[in-house]
Amino acid sequence: MALPLRVTGLDVRSPRGRTILSVEDLQLPAGALLGVRGPSGAGKSTLLYAIAGLWPQAAGAVHWGDTDVMGLGEARRTAFRAANIGMIFQDFLLFEELSAQDNAALTSLFRPRDRRRQVGERARTRLAALSLPETARPVASFSGGERQRVAVARALAHDPAILLADEPTASLHREAADRLIHDLTALAKDSGTTLIAVSHDVALLSRMDRVLTVQDGRIARGESGVA
Amino acid sequence: MRDVWDGLPVLAQDLFISAVLLLPILIVALVLLRGYAPFPLTRAILWRFRWANLLFVLLIAVSVGMGIGLIAQERGLRQGMAQAADKFDLVVSAPGSELTMMLAAVFLQPSDVGLLDGDAYAEIAGHENVDIAAPLAFGDSYGDAPVVGTTAEFVRYLTDDRLEGRMWERSGEAIVGPAVPLGLGDGFVPAHGVGAAAEAGAHAGVEMQVVGRMPRTGTPWDRAILIPVETVWEVHGLANGHAPEAGDRIGPPFDAKYFPGTPAVIVRAEELWANYALRSEFTRDSEMMAFFPGTVLGNLYRIMGDVRQAMSLMSAVTQVLVAASVLLGLFILSRLFQRQVAMLRALGAPLRFVAAVVWLYGATLLTLGAALGVGLGFVASAVLSRIVTVRTDILVNASLGWSEVPLALAFLSATSVLALIPALALLRQPIVANLRA
Repeated sequence: MALPLRVTGLDVRSPRGRTILSVEDLQLPAGALLGVRGPSGAGKSTLLYAIAGLWPQAAGAVHWGDTDVMGLGEARRTAFRAANIGMIFQDFLLFEELSAQDNAALTSLFRPRDRRRQVGERARTRLAALSLPETARPVASFSGGERQRVAVARALAHDPAILLADEPTASLHREAADRLIHDLTALAKDSGTTLIAVSHDVALLSRMDRVLTVQDGRIARGESGVA
Repeated sequence: MRDVWDGLPVLAQDLFISAVLLLPILIVALVLLRGYAPFPLTRAILWRFRWANLLFVLLIAVSVGMGIGLIAQERGLRQGMAQAADKFDLVVSAPGSELTMMLAAVFLQPSDVGLLDGDAYAEIAGHENVDIAAPLAFGDSYGDAPVVGTTAEFVRYLTDDRLEGRMWERSGEAIVGPAVPLGLGDGFVPAHGVGAAAEAGAHAGVEMQVVGRMPRTGTPWDRAILIPVETVWEVHGLANGHAPEAGDRIGPPFDAKYFPGTPAVIVRAEELWANYALRSEFTRDSEMMAFFPGTVLGNLYRIMGDVRQAMSLMSAVTQVLVAASVLLGLFILSRLFQRQVAMLRALGAPLRFVAAVVWLYGATLLTLGAALGVGLGFVASAVLSRIVTVRTDILVNASLGWSEVPLALAFLSATSVLALIPALALLRQPIVANLRA
């Protein structure tokens, strides 16, 4: 089940205490696709990590459905991410020595025993849906596009309500990027997952329901509010 | 409680100690790994840094191997020496250093010592509780082999009557140890003196013939050539222990008047208690002394015991230093996968799971290193044993026993628990900063 997002009074500071991102109000309905753009260093990725509950020096409220992740302790925040959030990174961050299946099913390793098989099965289905070959080869031998699709399968293997992607196409050539954009948005829409993607890639942003611009640590005027 | 413990077989005690030593690892493993499956990730990390890991394992193995190899070697040498002295219940000699005398009589290390005269020998040999009183005569050699004069009775006792060939029947016949490069029927001319100071031509014309060979005993006597004590005296131009009218007679009884003297008499009594009585009876100020080689060795071990403790301490300190460098290495290595750790945390991996992956990685290296170290210790001990055996003729067995296992386990246990530190330190790393690194 997808989760709606509501961010209020978010104030993200650097370790030295300087405010690097400030979001007064941001709302996103469940299952929406949100693109975040902006110049480098403007605070796009910071927004992504903050709403995932990963930024330690942050204040305010980030509600995913009824849960305010900012109000949770470290362990419960982690558990919330494990249950509800899938993440995709610019440079894939796979275990190069493991196969596509083992990478895609990575999060099963720390889930309860009875859920491991389920996550493993879903990882297999996702990999097939993303047209990745069923092979025991380590992903080190895969192309960039294939690796990022393995990362997408990993992000979706536990059927998360939220998918957060940080520059998912930045390390790919155009053709691979286009294919990934197609697969990513199709899978998010099919499963009703809320997708927030930080990107400079116009092709990706054009497939989003809504695009925000982050500039100088703030959401550009006229773009906040309800989508 | 103490009685129960003392009543347990040694193996049971060793197993119990090993289990106790393993307990901290088991507890850490149980707490960290319960409910998780970190093995595939640990395997991946082990493979990724395989060369660095191999180096680590070797470092640990060499440290553990050296530690337990040395201790096993020291024990092997001690057992070998005790075994070499086994047949020498009581030694009677002129007063002097018991240690020097023991080294000369039991381990055939040449030294200048005083002599017991014929009356003293007659008194010892004639004592009612003495079964064998064998005079020894040293001073000649053939190559590396010391030539020792004694009696046929003592040779039979020393070899348990298992001679290849036959016992000497006349002066000029010899029995060789198994390590002497002479065969049955070979002849040889002994040199006067031993080692570098030996004079090869001093006994020219005195050719001896090998008639028998002793079985291997694992003692310095394996390299010795035994001849009738009379022969030694004769080739040195002395009386041969018998009155001229006795003719070619060899072996006891000896005539005190024609007895040139012996540095040591090996005494054997059938009854254990008799040895103690003989020792006190033959210990007289300025006349003679009697001692148990086993007791002298025991005293030596007591002194060596301090050395052994110092060795153990040095070995322990070395292992602590290695453990410290291993931990430092684990810190450095774990830095290499801090991005992966940040990714795991971002994906919702609990702290305990991440700690389990990193700790399992360190514990695997330590376990492999300690296991390989035990193997290396065994090999090192076997090689050292061979060298010591060749150089001293004291049979030293590479006996890596259960007593070395707790040493390796203690190292493994302590370092595995310490391996929690780099694992926990990694959890304090900032997630976002490492994801972006």
